[in-house]
Amino acid sequence: MKAKTGKGTSAEKVKPYIHKVTWRQDFTRNKALYFVMLPCLIYFIIFNYIPMFGILMAFEDFSVTKGFFGSKWVGFDNFRTLFTGEAFLTALRNTVCMALLNLTIGFVMPIVFAFLISEIRTKKFKRSLQTVSYMPYFIAAVVVVQLVKEFIGTDGAITAVLTLFGLPKQNWLANPNIPVFWLINCLTDVWQGMGYGSIMYVAAMSQVSGDYHEAAVLDGANRWQRVTKITLPCIMPTIIMLFTLRIGLVFVTGFDKVLLMYMPTTYVTSDVLSTYTYRMAFGVGTPNYGLSAASGLFQSVVGMALLLISNKLSKKVTDKTVF
Amino acid sequence: MKAKMNTTKRETGNLRNAGMVENPSLIERIVHAIIIAVLLLIAFCSFIPLWHVLMASFSDGKVLLAHEGLLWSPVGKASLAGYRNVFKDASILSGYANTLIYVVGATSIGMVVNITGGYVLSRESKLRIPLTLMIMLTVLFGGGLIPTYMVIRKLGMTGTRLSLLIPGCTNGMFVIMMMYAFRGVPESTVESARIDGAGHLRTLFHIMLPQAMSLGTVIILNTVIMQWNSWFNASIYVTNNKNLWPLQLWIKQILAENESFLINANPDYSRYLVQYALIIVATLPILIALPFFQEKLEKGIIGGAVKE
Repeated sequence: MKAKTGKGTSAEKVKPYIHKVTWRQDFTRNKALYFVMLPCLIYFIIFNYIPMFGILMAFEDFSVTKGFFGSKWVGFDNFRTLFTGEAFLTALRNTVCMALLNLTIGFVMPIVFAFLISEIRTKKFKRSLQTVSYMPYFIAAVVVVQLVKEFIGTDGAITAVLTLFGLPKQNWLANPNIPVFWLINCLTDVWQGMGYGSIMYVAAMSQVSGDYHEAAVLDGANRWQRVTKITLPCIMPTIIMLFTLRIGLVFVTGFDKVLLMYMPTTYVTSDVLSTYTYRMAFGVGTPNYGLSAASGLFQSVVGMALLLISNKLSKKVTDKTVF
Repeated sequence: MKAKMNTTKRETGNLRNAGMVENPSLIERIVHAIIIAVLLLIAFCSFIPLWHVLMASFSDGKVLLAHEGLLWSPVGKASLAGYRNVFKDASILSGYANTLIYVVGATSIGMVVNITGGYVLSRESKLRIPLTLMIMLTVLFGGGLIPTYMVIRKLGMTGTRLSLLIPGCTNGMFVIMMMYAFRGVPESTVESARIDGAGHLRTLFHIMLPQAMSLGTVIILNTVIMQWNSWFNASIYVTNNKNLWPLQLWIKQILAENESFLINANPDYSRYLVQYALIIVATLPILIALPFFQEKLEKGIIGGAVKE
């Protein structure tokens, strides 16, 4: 019986199983297993791998009637049009700015909330606070946007408060100035995600040993010092891990709400790559599938690059990686 | 300022409290009060938009339209006109039914894919690594919106319920999560089941599944929420098949229609009221269920992370 060598060079990670068993043996032993895998495999091949061929569209002057293989091949022309087009560059700028807001305010708020919540001793109070804070997360995007329109429209409650502070009364959602839309989007995300996003952090904080705090109080540390010198360093690995994940996803998410909140008059600040891609294919006027596919491909590539980079960074900083 | 320490029997039971200040100084008290105030403010902000909509749904349409600012209680003559219109409207009822179909259907199909995939990936085999990489790759990279749309159209699914049940039912992340969950089941339990004569399927259902379900519950909850709130896929796959529309898409439609109804010379005010009642009807079920699955949700999220 010949033993076959396993795949790859990471011999230490690969268990001895692969070295000891031939393909035939493996198949007889595991054919039930592979059979069970079929539904899952078929699903991913059909809905994830086959569409990948659609990437070809980004390099073609695509027309629906001519299909993939009939449309004219234009190489990087679509990308050239993309990067010189004003709409795309605006969308890119908006995506980057909103992503930055997402990674700063949007990321920090759940952590701050977790700190606040952790200071509450009374179980019942803490519980009810958490339940209420989770609620916005479960509200549908369509409803959330309607709430936003309701509250910052011309007759809205928040608009009224802002007017008190001297800002002109208006429908804020229709305001095309920087950074209005970006802030609206960021704060809406914060409203929705602060409670739910804090779950991980609250759990991590509760795992910090009480001994540390005890010793700190003995030495006369006040609340702020305990937070920054004990709790914060202890939950750093969790923070880094979640930040890593967020960087990778920030370029491709957040589409729903923007699509519902934006309007032609505010495209200059509200259009993002995802909505641009969408509009090129499903919007009004003749669809430009080639451009849309190019934009989509750009997003995927950048998103993947970001994920891989942040993964590497996280390894450098904490020795932990997501992938 | 040194804090006075005074641990009593009552305090030492709670580890967090052991060594904590028994008689806090004035500054400590003020800080604590501020923290509570901020938390209450946050809770208030989380809750008030829903309260506003709830109150609006019971209000009088005409008065509501003219009203500015926050609603603390129904304005004008309190009425159930909004709700009556919601339940009379056949399209809303069909939307509700459709959403239920999609939620149950997509979650079930998705879980079948997740569980079978996760299970196989957790077992030793020669194909394990290539298969895992294959699934992981789909998380990083995808064909994009249009290619996926074209595949679904080629399959003949557009315009049918299938396009909303199958394509989006799961993703690579969930399969990987289930893989982790299954890997976390101790080998000894599986071995002893095998010795007792259980085959693959038996082991799966009776031994592995119960122990892997904490992560599984998180996946299920997430899928349910996702499906309940989804509208975009329906808007591109069943655009013209209004009888297949889920609830959220109807809401979007009605809200958009209402925006232009004000231009109409003879506006139907109860239609305006409908949008509020509709929001409540679409959102309340999930919110009411929240306290019940909150514990499970938290445990699952935490358990899943700690396992890594």
